Amino acid sequence: MKVTIGLEIHVQMSEAGSKLFCNCKADYRGLNVNTNVCPVCLGLPGALPVVSKRSVELALATSLALKCEIPKFIVFTRKHYFYPDLPKNYQISMIERAGGVPICRNGVISFLDPSRWEWKSCRIRRVNIEEDPGRTVYEEGGITGSPYALVDYNRSGVPLLEIVTEPDIETPRDARLLVEYLLLTLEYLGVTNPRLEGVFRVDANISLDGGERVEVKNIGSIADVEKALNYEILRQSKIREAGGVIERETRHWDPVRGVTRPLRHKEYEEEYLYFPDPDLPPIAITEEMVKGALKIAVEADLQALLSELLKHNIPPEHAWSIVSTKPALDLFKKVVSLGGDPQVVARMLAVDYKGELREQGKDPYDPSNWPPPDTILELSKLTLTGVYPYDTIKGLIIPNLVSNPLARLETLVPEKAGDLDLVVEEVLREEVRAVKDYLEGKTQALNYLVGRVIKKIGRKAVDPRIIRGLLEKRIKAGAPRT
Amino acid sequence: MRRLKQAWELVMDFREGIEDPVEHVFNVFEAIRRWEARVNAYISLESPDLIVEEVERIARGINAGEKVGKLAGLLVSVKDNICTSFLPTTAGSRMLDPYIPPYDATVVKRLLEEDAIVVGKANLDEFAMGSTTELSAFGPTRNPWDLERVPGGSSGGSAASLAYGGSDLSLGSDTGGSARLPAAYTATVGLKPTYGLVSRYGLIPYGNSLEQISPMARSVRDVALLLDVIGGWDPLDATSLRVDKPRTFTTSKADPSKVTVCVVKELSEGAEDVIERAYWRILKKLESEGVELREEKLPVASKALPAYYTIAFAEAASNLARYDGVFYPTKGGGSTWEEEVELARMKGFGREVKKRILMGVYALSEGYRDEYYIAATKVRRVVRDEVSRISRSCIIASQVSPILPPRLGERLDDPLKLYAMDVYTVIANLAGAPALVQPIEFYNGLPIGIQWIGKPLGEGSSYP
Repeated sequence: MKVTIGLEIHVQMSEAGSKLFCNCKADYRGLNVNTNVCPVCLGLPGALPVVSKRSVELALATSLALKCEIPKFIVFTRKHYFYPDLPKNYQISMIERAGGVPICRNGVISFLDPSRWEWKSCRIRRVNIEEDPGRTVYEEGGITGSPYALVDYNRSGVPLLEIVTEPDIETPRDARLLVEYLLLTLEYLGVTNPRLEGVFRVDANISLDGGERVEVKNIGSIADVEKALNYEILRQSKIREAGGVIERETRHWDPVRGVTRPLRHKEYEEEYLYFPDPDLPPIAITEEMVKGALKIAVEADLQALLSELLKHNIPPEHAWSIVSTKPALDLFKKVVSLGGDPQVVARMLAVDYKGELREQGKDPYDPSNWPPPDTILELSKLTLTGVYPYDTIKGLIIPNLVSNPLARLETLVPEKAGDLDLVVEEVLREEVRAVKDYLEGKTQALNYLVGRVIKKIGRKAVDPRIIRGLLEKRIKAGAPRT
Repeated sequence: MRRLKQAWELVMDFREGIEDPVEHVFNVFEAIRRWEARVNAYISLESPDLIVEEVERIARGINAGEKVGKLAGLLVSVKDNICTSFLPTTAGSRMLDPYIPPYDATVVKRLLEEDAIVVGKANLDEFAMGSTTELSAFGPTRNPWDLERVPGGSSGGSAASLAYGGSDLSLGSDTGGSARLPAAYTATVGLKPTYGLVSRYGLIPYGNSLEQISPMARSVRDVALLLDVIGGWDPLDATSLRVDKPRTFTTSKADPSKVTVCVVKELSEGAEDVIERAYWRILKKLESEGVELREEKLPVASKALPAYYTIAFAEAASNLARYDGVFYPTKGGGSTWEEEVELARMKGFGREVKKRILMGVYALSEGYRDEYYIAATKVRRVVRDEVSRISRSCIIASQVSPILPPRLGERLDDPLKLYAMDVYTVIANLAGAPALVQPIEFYNGLPIGIQWIGKPLGEGSSYP
């Protein structure tokens, strides 16, 4: 069975600073309802849109990252439809009708399947810059039953990128990987923070064996891209097996039940009355703008970042783990530039530190959850000098560091074995009885001895396993020296 | 009517103590008291107490020798499609009755910065859609020169307020002649500036790509004075040109022997005899003073009117989509969203507005867009090229209206005749060129004007 998938991905440019056409904030989260608004984004009569330079710069950088054809100028168009959360009842977009010109045409995205280390590619049809509408909140009963709706315009006018692919994708898994890779690229470009609630939505078109295509709307998470498409394959296959025909339709993804549902059929052809927005003259894309955007795009070339890591003979899975977590990559680069061993640092960050972050339920994408480069540098040196077994660092130091990334290394490092020996000797001298018990087979006596040692060392962090090992070794070796 | 002082004269007289600004305010109040009930130039008037308080403050400043604004003590009427945060802004529509915007238009800010006093909001055809000011939800405005006749439109309230002395200066707007036609019909002066010279921020849009806020006054000098205050780049309007503030007031009159006037066949024929005769009389007079007359042709002119209306209606249909009963005062009372939108628009918009929305939607619809909207934008390009070719070497002399001010109701029955009143004026809007109308003669007590079309940003350079 041949599966053909095309995606339409809407991503908020949450990191653009301002809304697309006014100075209200691009990231509205956590603000009181209807406080992030002004005459422009409320569409009040007479207020006029002025395009934010930063939005265009970031969109241009995205287009370059997607290897698009860059137009000589871009033209915004109006798309009309009546909806309560669309205050002008038209959306300013870049639809290619009646003279609209999008910022990107005919690009391509190469994306990685990290577990098979396989690169795939998909053509990009176009990228539009457009404005997000407000948000409608329905009371109990939802869209059909609620007696009223409330509208919050804090989101109205937030810059969106609409990225449309060609139907080049062959599996739901690839669709998921593409979205994941694209969002990561956009994060590196400084366009968006993919982890913000509602920051992106995916609409997917899917057809089986050249049949009619079905559009699945409202996919809001990376994992759901794969789930929704798998569900759709299953649903369509069943219909076909039963001798049915797939009709062209639009369906809605229900993430709670994990199914797609048909949307109400439209009784008439949609008529959007596209035409160029007369308030927004064409914007020339100058060489200077392209140069500036190229600087941003170069920093976000994940393929180049990965091959940089691989040059150090870092295992690919470690490299991907680092690159897919931007703060880890930033830290890695700094530590290596200070002289850290790339392979040790990579393992420490990609596997142990990141794993421990997850263990402790901390966000690996928050840079403040990562330690300063000096700390990691020192730790990696300790590993190499063999003062501590790697297990000690992993099992003891890193968990403490994750709980307190700014802690000074001295406070985290266990006593060196040499210092411990003296304490162990002292305890063995004092606890003759316990030693005797242990030698007679009462194994719990050893736990008691470990406890005594820890008490004597005081507050310093020591791996009890080390103490246990030392005690065992010493007892087996014979009576304490007196 | 008693001779009314020009605004620039008033500014000088205030400064030199020849006239007291407070007394002037009371003269204007008196004119409003005598005329307004019959003329209906205003939709809303500022409170007299506030105006007096303000003018007293300004008068104290002048007396103390303080630096005051360029328009200190002048009373300005502002067309009611220009947003003011201190007076309702209705655009002449029931839909916005009463709507008080939370912000001031850029031009209003600039007026206030120069110590002008906004006396009231002037009447207009609903959303500036009309040529007679009969289509306002607040009743028609009458022509002070003949109360049975219209003052032209859509800035008829602005023009009438100037004509009877109810304001010293006025802001109108001009999408296809809306400031110039009323100027011609009321013996006042109206300038449609170069597209982008005056910020549209705060102008309730009708045809965004065509219209400009337009200074109106009782003399060319006054218009220049006002243009200098309101013009110049505004970062809030992406279509505003990156040019310095205009300095047209101090421009001296051109030497006639260095001026060439082009008589464009298509813009000088087809008007009533009396108008055509007046037109030629002034041109011959100028010629006798040394102005060179030259003939030019503008064959695309016959397509200008349909192209203009197609573009204006398309943009209007889009601009007016926002009035859906949610933010604005006229509510539908529907039980669903769709019903609410339908009812609010049914109640809030007048007939002409609905007609234009329907035609605009038609012109933009899939399958018709190429034939109408796109075709019209192509005509616009030709008009722009042709006009800029001609105006590079001369000032174009043109009629303003094919007819004298009609009686109320006379033109309303036939929409094609109504639209045809704009035949000479839409050229400048399509071309984005500046166009000024000034009075030349009276015929049986009715004013006749002439229109000068210049090159882009040619304001103030060389009107004869």
